[in-house]
Amino acid sequence: SQPLAGGQAAELQSKVVPSKQILHSDNMEMEPETMETKSVTEYFSKLHMGSLVYSCTSKRKNK
Amino acid sequence: RMEASCLELALEGERLCKAGDCRAGVSFFEAAVQVGTEDLRTLSAIYSQLGNAYFYLHEYAKALEYHHHDLTLARTIGDLLGEAKASGNLGNTLKVLGNFEEAIVCCQRHLDISRELNDKVGEARALYNLGNVYHSKGKNVANAGTHDPGELPDDVKNALQKAAKYYEENLSIVTELGDRAAQGRAFGNLGNTHYLLGNFRSAVLAHEQRLLIAKEFGDRSAERRAYSNLGNAYIFLGEFETAAEYYRRTLQLARQLKDRAVEAQACYSLGNTYTLLQDYEKAIDYHLKHLVIAQELHDKIGEGRACWSLGNAYTALGNHDQAIHFAERHLEISREVGDRSGELTARLNLSDLQMVLGLSYSTNNSMMAESQAVENSLNGGRPRGRRYSMENMELMKLTPEKVPNWN
Repeated sequence: SQPLAGGQAAELQSKVVPSKQILHSDNMEMEPETMETKSVTEYFSKLHMGSLVYSCTSKRKNK
Repeated sequence: RMEASCLELALEGERLCKAGDCRAGVSFFEAAVQVGTEDLRTLSAIYSQLGNAYFYLHEYAKALEYHHHDLTLARTIGDLLGEAKASGNLGNTLKVLGNFEEAIVCCQRHLDISRELNDKVGEARALYNLGNVYHSKGKNVANAGTHDPGELPDDVKNALQKAAKYYEENLSIVTELGDRAAQGRAFGNLGNTHYLLGNFRSAVLAHEQRLLIAKEFGDRSAERRAYSNLGNAYIFLGEFETAAEYYRRTLQLARQLKDRAVEAQACYSLGNTYTLLQDYEKAIDYHLKHLVIAQELHDKIGEGRACWSLGNAYTALGNHDQAIHFAERHLEISREVGDRSGELTARLNLSDLQMVLGLSYSTNNSMMAESQAVENSLNGGRPRGRRYSMENMELMKLTPEKVPNWN
C-alpha cells in the first residue's frame, strides 16, 4: 500500500497546486462615492450679505 | 427667536460634520429639525446634510429618508439645482441599498438637470455616479452566479459596459475641467470595471493612471488601492512576479497607514500569489501573517480562509501533520460560522489527507470518522477514490465566489 499512498500524495499535490483551488476574496478596491452638498452657512451668508454690508456701512457712517 | 435657534443648531451641526464628527453633527441637525424653520431652503440644506451624515455613518435607511425629504422640498420650492443634488444623493443611497433601477432613475435626473442648467461640474459628477450604479449592478448580478472575470452573462456584461461608458464620459469632462482628483477616481473605478469585464490590459492602464494621480496628490490610501488593484489585474494576466511586487507595495503602505485589515488582505493576496509561483514556504509565511491578524481582528471568515490556504500549502510541501491541523481548524471554523461549502471542502481535504496517511488515523479521531460518515452520505455511499478527475469540478462549484479561476 506504500506505493499507492505515494501515488495519491502526488494526486493530492496536483489538486492543490492549480490556481482554481485558491480561495479568493473579493478585494477589489473601489474609489469613494461623491455626495452633493448643501450648506446653511453658504445660503445664510448669501442671504444676509446685503443687509450685513448695509449694517456695516451704516455703522461706519454713523461713526 | 425660534428662527435663530434652528439656524444656530444647524450651523453647529455643519461645523461638527466638517470637523469629521458626523454623530454629533446629526444630533444638532435633528435638534434643528425639531425646532423647525419656515425657511424652506434652510430646511432643505439641513435634510441634505442629515442624509449625507447618515450615509457616512452607514445608516442608509435614515439617509434615504432625509434625501427623500430634501428632494420633495426642492421640488416644492422649484429649486432645480437643489433637486439635481437631492436626486444624486438619493441615487447613491439607493445604489448602496441595492435598488439599482430606482438609483438609475435618480442619477439620470441629476444628469438631465445638470445638462439643462449647463452645469458641467454637476454633469461630470452625475456621470460618475451613474457609472458607479451600473458597476454595482453588474457586480451584484455577477456575484449571484459562479464565474470568473471575463466569463459573464449578458446582463452583467451590459451593465459593466454601461459603467465603462459613463466613466469615460466623466473622464472627458473632468479632463477638460482639469480636475485631477476626479480623474483619479474615474480611472480607479474604470480600471475595476475593465477588470470585471476581463479586459486586464485596459485595467492595468487605468490603474497606472490612478497611481500617477495618487502620487501627485500624496494620497497614500489611493496609492495603496492602485497597487492592490494592479496586483489583482497582473494575477489574471498570469504575471505573478509583477503581481507579487504590487502586493508587496500594498503591504508596505498598509503597514505605514496602520490599517490592520488591509495589511491582512495584502498578506492573503501575497500568500495566494506565492502559491501560484509554487513557492510554498513564502506562501505559508504570508498566510500565517494573515491568520494572526484575522485572529486579532476576530475575523472568523478570514481565519477559516487562512486555515484552508495553509492546509493546502502544507499538503503541497508534503507536511501532512500541519496540513491536517489546519484542515481540522478550517472544519471547526466553517461549522462555527455556518459556512456549508467551507465545511464540505474541509471534510474532503481531511479525507484526502487521511487516505495519504493511512486509515489508522481515523480510528482514533472522532472528527475524521464523522467526516467520513457525512462524506459517504453526501456521495450516496459511493466507494472511495472517486473524486479525482471530473469530480474535482464539483468541488469548485460548491465554493461559489470564493474560487475563481486565477488564470
